[in-house]
Amino acid sequence: MTVEPETRTGEAIRFESVTKRFGDAEAVVDLGITIERGEFFSLLGPSGCGKTTTLRMVAGFEQPSEGRIFLEGEPVESVPPYRRNVNTVFQSYALFEHLDVFENVAFGLRRRGTGRDEVRDRVAAALELVQLHGRSDAKPRELSGGQKQRVALARALVNRPAVLLLDEPLGALDLKLRRQMQVELKQIQREVGITFVYVTHDQEEALSMSDRIAVMREGRVVQCGAPEDVYERPTEEFVAGFIGISNLLEGTVDGTGRVRVGAALLVPAPLPDGCAAGERVRLSVRPEKIALDQLEEGMVSLEGTIEARVYLGMTTQITVALGDGARLVALEQATYRSRADDRWEPGMRVTIGWHPEHCLVLR
Amino acid sequence: MARYRIGRLRGDKRPPTPVPRAAGEGGEAAARDSRPRPGPSGRVDRVSRPRDFDRPRFLRLVVAVFLVWTFAPIAIVILFSFNAGRSLQNFDGFSTQWYSEFFANPQLRESLYASLGIAVATMIVATILGTMLAYGLVRARNRLSPVTNVIMLVPLVVPEIVAGVTALLLFTQVGMELSVTTIILAHITFSISFVTVIVRGRLSALNREVEEAALDLGATRTQTLRLIVLPELWPAIVAAALIIFALSFDDFVLSFFTTGETPQPLPVRIYSSIRFGVTPTINAIGTLMLVVSVTAIAIALALPRVLGRRGGGVLIGRDAA
Repeated sequence: MTVEPETRTGEAIRFESVTKRFGDAEAVVDLGITIERGEFFSLLGPSGCGKTTTLRMVAGFEQPSEGRIFLEGEPVESVPPYRRNVNTVFQSYALFEHLDVFENVAFGLRRRGTGRDEVRDRVAAALELVQLHGRSDAKPRELSGGQKQRVALARALVNRPAVLLLDEPLGALDLKLRRQMQVELKQIQREVGITFVYVTHDQEEALSMSDRIAVMREGRVVQCGAPEDVYERPTEEFVAGFIGISNLLEGTVDGTGRVRVGAALLVPAPLPDGCAAGERVRLSVRPEKIALDQLEEGMVSLEGTIEARVYLGMTTQITVALGDGARLVALEQATYRSRADDRWEPGMRVTIGWHPEHCLVLR
Repeated sequence: MARYRIGRLRGDKRPPTPVPRAAGEGGEAAARDSRPRPGPSGRVDRVSRPRDFDRPRFLRLVVAVFLVWTFAPIAIVILFSFNAGRSLQNFDGFSTQWYSEFFANPQLRESLYASLGIAVATMIVATILGTMLAYGLVRARNRLSPVTNVIMLVPLVVPEIVAGVTALLLFTQVGMELSVTTIILAHITFSISFVTVIVRGRLSALNREVEEAALDLGATRTQTLRLIVLPELWPAIVAAALIIFALSFDDFVLSFFTTGETPQPLPVRIYSSIRFGVTPTINAIGTLMLVVSVTAIAIALALPRVLGRRGGGVLIGRDAA
């Protein structure tokens, strides 16, 4: 499917210092992000971080307490939900139980007075897109969770909205189906070229589908960037901890450009600009970046004792105690080279290490 | 057998005593001894009849007594409404003369029509108001809704006699002449809560997101109500309406206090005629009222299932747009 270049550029949604309060509680604080056309944009954060409220303000179910929202450049505060050129896929699917699949999908087109033949063709195309052709006579209660999800998606997409809002649409599905739907959703988004704003608390979901991710916490966006940026270069401890497992070591900046952890450990790490000696910082290393025993040239090297080992199938999670109460978690990938009896046992001494660039200093 | 099982049920709450020979349980122990002894394991009966343990037999007896107690008088009324003789003790053969007599009596006929009219009017108005109240209570969130919730329950807990007296006082105070209208007003007042309780149950089960989805897809508030909310509520609304019809049709207390001279609703008319001696016509009237009420309730109970299976979508066809 070819998409005109001009429809792919420009802004789809712009938040201008948007704040939303419910009574005294602040759900969203001073939100100021711009979502580009054709982008797959995820709002990621724990429950209660304001991501769903943000989505509902775009849909028109909530009004910002302060600030403005622009949809394709136009302010939307005076536009009711039923006139906004956005459609939502709800977490509960919210299908119309008394209507069959066809009428569910056709609902939006009929409200706009689309002609009979066009309704028929577009509904058929939408059902084809979500691989539900042939189920158009079924009632929602006859469908499985995954199928309901597809109907909800088709019902929203058939209207060709400027922006599709998805509120944890895969939350109710089991893991396998969720993985499959992640791939399909991304594929569909590429095919139709519509801007997707995707709300989720599942970091893996956000990482695998998004062009950009905004990590939210207590109503604020703490980091916004491409999945690689957010994962590899978290700017805050919260982001490092929320996305993936992260090792955090408390330490102080040493005069020689290293970080002192505990009494005896000196760890070389790239220090951020303006980091003075004696400043308290945290070191963050991703578990999969840690090597056990077989260190490479140029790696930071530390001695430790294996404290626990958890076999996870594809990987093995190993906790290493470094002394002074500091511990690190390492993930060892199972490969064609490893043998079943080739494993770490608690109490073994081990040398661990990582490349300095994989270690982040968080202030 | 039964005693043994009761003993075991009690034993669930206390540590099991191997030989319950406490003073109060002597009879039980004796009864137990007179039974054929279980096998060495003491579990023969349990294994052979595993389902019996949580269903003591005396409960069946309680149910049987209850059923007879409830339905025997009704069955007798129905039977004697077809009695050929005047007797209320002896059945002298089958006849429909008391039904003919009932329909031949202009006063009773007038009362029947009045009762039906009152029931229909009450049903329509109370159902509409009660449904609106239910929607408001479930969907509106403000500080007053808990208060409204309690106020709504008042008519359900106030004794009907109090409601009747209050209604009578009100109507006379404001100078309204007692008539069919005053009965209808009184019935509506006390019926709204029933409708609200029934419809609210269904409405609470309807996810708010469904309405938001309709708005999101371009339906205005009114269209959302008409195309999404009402079809989903329809079975509950119809059920509530029929129950209100039945309640209003055979209501006596409220009607008694608020009725005018003529026409009197059927239950009031029956009451006044009984004071001058019981005729078998009463049985015929009772049977007819029973049929009307039971039919209404039966439809009310069956409708959600019938509509549920077809999705309640009778209101909007595929091409309704």
